[in-house]
Amino acid sequence: MYGKHVTRELSAYCHGELPTADSRRVSEHLLGCSRCRKEFEAIKFGVRLAEHLPRSAAPDSLWEKIEASLPKKFAAPSAIEPRQRRRFTLPFTDLAFALTRGWPRAAAASFAALLLVGFSAALWYYVRPSGSAWEVASLAGAPTIGSERVSKSGRLAVGEWLETDTSSRARINVANIGQVEIEPGTRVRLVETRLTEHRLELARGRLHALIFAPPRLFFVNTPSAVAADLGCAYTLEVDDRGRSLLHVTSGWVALELNNRESIVPAGAACETRPQWGPGTPYFTDASETFLRSLLQFDFEGGGSAALAAVVAEARARDTLTLWHLLSRVAEADRSRVYERLARLAPPPAGVTRDGVLRLDQEMLNAWRTALESVWLQESAPALRKAWRSIWK
Amino acid sequence: MEQRAIMSDRETGEQIIEACQKGDREAFRLLYEAHKNRVYSTALYFFGGDEASAADITQQVFLKLFTKIEQFRSEAEFTTWLYRLAANACIDEQRKRSRFSFFGDAFEMLNVREKKSQEEQFIRIEMAEAVKQAVAALRPKLRLAILLKYFEDLSYEEMAAVLGCSKGTVASRLNRGHKILARRLGHLRETLVRGEQ
Repeated sequence: MYGKHVTRELSAYCHGELPTADSRRVSEHLLGCSRCRKEFEAIKFGVRLAEHLPRSAAPDSLWEKIEASLPKKFAAPSAIEPRQRRRFTLPFTDLAFALTRGWPRAAAASFAALLLVGFSAALWYYVRPSGSAWEVASLAGAPTIGSERVSKSGRLAVGEWLETDTSSRARINVANIGQVEIEPGTRVRLVETRLTEHRLELARGRLHALIFAPPRLFFVNTPSAVAADLGCAYTLEVDDRGRSLLHVTSGWVALELNNRESIVPAGAACETRPQWGPGTPYFTDASETFLRSLLQFDFEGGGSAALAAVVAEARARDTLTLWHLLSRVAEADRSRVYERLARLAPPPAGVTRDGVLRLDQEMLNAWRTALESVWLQESAPALRKAWRSIWK
Repeated sequence: MEQRAIMSDRETGEQIIEACQKGDREAFRLLYEAHKNRVYSTALYFFGGDEASAADITQQVFLKLFTKIEQFRSEAEFTTWLYRLAANACIDEQRKRSRFSFFGDAFEMLNVREKKSQEEQFIRIEMAEAVKQAVAALRPKLRLAILLKYFEDLSYEEMAAVLGCSKGTVASRLNRGHKILARRLGHLRETLVRGEQ
């Protein structure tokens, strides 16, 4: 369904070196191929490690050695005109020399060095790459960034909070990979923005995200889980008690906390609670009994009774929920979930009952890969439409 | 950063090269200042933190550069040549040192007990030091690809011109380098996440 594997292209994909059509092909493949997704995680981790290589400055004494070894012909007076020299050097240099005329040479050099440090720091602050701040547009009212009101547009820097009141809305451009719309009564902070990770924190309120990027580049922290974008559009809401509700409209989102992960496809939703983390994902058109029982199982200690109701009510589409439940139920209940899941969607070759019941990860992943085609099938028209609109 | 912003001005860069070609020592100094840290950092990490080797390579590269400066007509040509010179100097020096010729295999050749002590060592040291050592343990071609990407910030096309290979080969080397780093430093994943929070 997703063509040949893309492992050889993953570094180029991560670095944005692929042509648009190839990038789209890789993105779509990653959505459905767990093997390549695993490789992609490894490549991204390698990229993040390499980014930690610290730069080093060449020792000051090196120029003296080089200068001493230069051929004799390099003794000509400078051919660079004063105005050109000014363009080659930091602009304060002439000022430093003018101010320190007549000073002892060492003192003048120290003064110039101090100016250099101060000027460079100021210059860095104002000309630092735009990747360290995201553009914000006001859609209604006057949202605030810190204590500053945003009348038409502004910039949200790392560490800053964007807040909307009951009558204001805003749109954030997420680096160059998508947009997030902020609803009234919402508070978000830009946590990080760099090549391999862009991250917001949603303290309360609601946002709608539309991201056209490789999986796991964009994250939203909430009080009870982290939403990891896998190439998608979604709505995420956090209430005053730190509980979240995620609705995915296209693509996939992963909700994660403390080694507990829920993978949520288009058309599905998932709730999270503080101290619990992500609940079990579900398709929103499931029966009322199914949804109520699942809530009881996830967050209200419903136990075997609630689980029995979920299993009994499950349709073919609800294999999304059943697959996640396999690793969340008590061992005594696991066979009940397995039997229902296998009846609705028989496991592929190589996946055995015993292996699943002992939670063999490879078998669980293989079954999930087979099930994803069912989960996506019903979402496919919406997904394809979303991808077309993103990539055309 | 300001120096780099100035040096990327094509007209200014070409004027500097022209001045160098006329023997202007001040122009040479500006050229040196603009590129010295990148060349030095690449050599430093290529040789596993050996500052003496990095200084020697940097000196070698710039002296050779100054003697060949008449050949260049454009800044783009010069930049590619400079990084190619730096890459070749590292590889040539590597070949001379027979004890390093197996360094890229050293990690894999360690027996289990030594590997375990190496892993324990990695856990104790800072993330940057761990990455530095892991990069230094890569095979030279992979090591160079990683350093050119993350220190010189070259595109794949530029790296291909510097290394004299195809973009596909550049992509392949970076892919392998990233995967090896991820495999060897997998135990630092949580440390990385904690440090970035």
